Amino acid sequence: MDAPFEIAGGVQEQIQEGISAQGVRRHFGSVEAVRDIDLRAPSGQVTALVGPNGSGKTTLFLVLATLLVPDGGRISVGGHDPVSEPAAVRAVLGWSPDVFGVYDNLTVREYLEFFGAAYRLSVSERRGRADELLDAIHLEEFATSPVHVLSRGQKQRLGLARALVHRPRVLVLDEPAGGLDPRSRVDLRELLRAQADAGVAVLVSSHILSDLEEVADRVVFIEGGRTVGEHAVGALPRAGSRPWRIRSLDDVGLVRVLDSMGMEHSSPGPAGVEVAVGADEEAADLVAALVRAGVRVVSISPSGGDLEAAYLELTEDRR
Amino acid sequence: MTLEGVRTVAQQELRLRIRAGRWRWLLGLWFGVVLGFAVLLRLGLAALTGAEDDPQAGPPLFGGVMLFVLGLALLVVPSLTAQSVNGDRERGTLATLQVTLLTPADIALGKLAAAWGTALVFLGLTLPVVVWAMAEGGLPLVNVAVTLLIVALLLGVVCAVAEALSAVFARSITSALLAYLTVFALTVGTLIAFGLATALTTETAQQTYQVPRLDPETGTEIPGQYEEQTLTTQQSRPDRVWPLLTPNPFVILADAAPRLPAPTDASGRELPRPLDPLGELGDAVREARRAPFPSAAYVELPDRADPGPLWPYGLVFDLLLAGGAVLVTVRRLRTPTRRLPRGVRVA
Repeated sequence: MDAPFEIAGGVQEQIQEGISAQGVRRHFGSVEAVRDIDLRAPSGQVTALVGPNGSGKTTLFLVLATLLVPDGGRISVGGHDPVSEPAAVRAVLGWSPDVFGVYDNLTVREYLEFFGAAYRLSVSERRGRADELLDAIHLEEFATSPVHVLSRGQKQRLGLARALVHRPRVLVLDEPAGGLDPRSRVDLRELLRAQADAGVAVLVSSHILSDLEEVADRVVFIEGGRTVGEHAVGALPRAGSRPWRIRSLDDVGLVRVLDSMGMEHSSPGPAGVEVAVGADEEAADLVAALVRAGVRVVSISPSGGDLEAAYLELTEDRR
Repeated sequence: MTLEGVRTVAQQELRLRIRAGRWRWLLGLWFGVVLGFAVLLRLGLAALTGAEDDPQAGPPLFGGVMLFVLGLALLVVPSLTAQSVNGDRERGTLATLQVTLLTPADIALGKLAAAWGTALVFLGLTLPVVVWAMAEGGLPLVNVAVTLLIVALLLGVVCAVAEALSAVFARSITSALLAYLTVFALTVGTLIAFGLATALTTETAQQTYQVPRLDPETGTEIPGQYEEQTLTTQQSRPDRVWPLLTPNPFVILADAAPRLPAPTDASGRELPRPLDPLGELGDAVREARRAPFPSAAYVELPDRADPGPLWPYGLVFDLLLAGGAVLVTVRRLRTPTRRLPRGVRVA
């Protein structure tokens, strides 16, 4: 791993309670879906798993969720081996896949109570837990509606609630933000944060990097079935240069000045003009130069967050 | 595996079943068909015996209806489980269940219990006709109880086998087809196998007879003088291949039904035996176990002892088949798994 990562506090204990995976491999036929993944998701933190489509995220999650035997590697989930002690892992693990089916003829409440029963909760516990979760995912008004009337985003939230039925200590969520509206995404972030604050180890994959950046404490980058980076979000390696977005009252003037400075830029659009800028200092110099040249700048900001920049950097060679 | 876990799955399956299909229609149709068959059979029996109020119409009515119900149920029951595991996989609901604390046995047996229970509802709907047959007279309760029990067990066997097929094959269309082929193999296939195997057992037998010597001129028998004649005949030996017949559900059902006691009137006089489709079919299949007579002529026929039943062998075979099927289902539901069926996503 190119960037060893330090986790504050009782490191071993937090990882012991959460997820650790070393050298995980898994192939399907001639396709090596996962080649060498190292990953740690300590309890009390939200760890984001980020990688392009087909990079092995879902396969890794299936291994963590006690569904697939890996070809190799050492894995511990909640202190247990998913291959040799699947029942112990299942008792502490909440898992929601990116795509799943629901029983169309059940109501939302019945669905949650059924999974409560499947996790061996008593009848009264199931009821109480269903109430709490319906409240948490804002589906109370759908409690008695059949599951099939839910929209994709609502189903995704229901899947999240299902994963939480037995108060797991480890949460593995594959693309939980898929199909969610902006309000629900904010709710999801808050829910994940609350779970982590309550001591749960949260591992989440998503393509919505701005969301992840707001909620994740740590990020693990994978590509082509390998871990290519494991970082604290606050300490992401800064990219050499990244796009900044400049809006001005006079796009023609702005473009002329940028051209005269010899800077590469995109063609002007409603969101402004994108310019590749190196460090923050360079950006400040650019602002000063533009103002001196009489361009009426309204705003200048990095487009996309640090996470996106780091991700784009990592996947650069794919283009 | 726990009883609680099995019950959780079974309840869930039943609830989904009840809400999914047009059960009232289907059950009503089933009852109508069975009742219609019984009415026609009763009318036919009355025409056959020429008496409207035959005091012994119970056994033929009951036997005929049970054979019909078994046949019809064998057509309906495979569909109850033939897509139960791979259907859940296709809908994406299996993996979320497998990561709960339910064990593979909980899931396999819960699904089986729900399907078998549904099959028994169909069987239960024939009870009014059974009561009618008993009211017709001549039908002991023990015959009814044994016959219903055997049919119930056989339907459970079909449920278990179809479920295993749905766990083994990825495509529900494949498993459904194979489930029906299995029923075909058990019913028609066993008959074909028995028939072909019997033909293969055909052997040449030489039989020697003592016949009176004839006067070559007059052509009349010479008293006190005999000569030996040897005849070469072809005979088949079904007694060597009869086990092929035993897994057949109809053979098991007919042969297991207790034979009716000889009916008597009030004064203890024996009455003619009623028609008994089950018993007569049972006796017929038992003949397959009988070895051919030793060659002889002009000898008393040996006592035609009962060659012994077939049904215990068949029932044990079918129950072992079901047990094996349940084991296969449990194995296929066990996770984490090493290999995936081609083209299947786990979740």
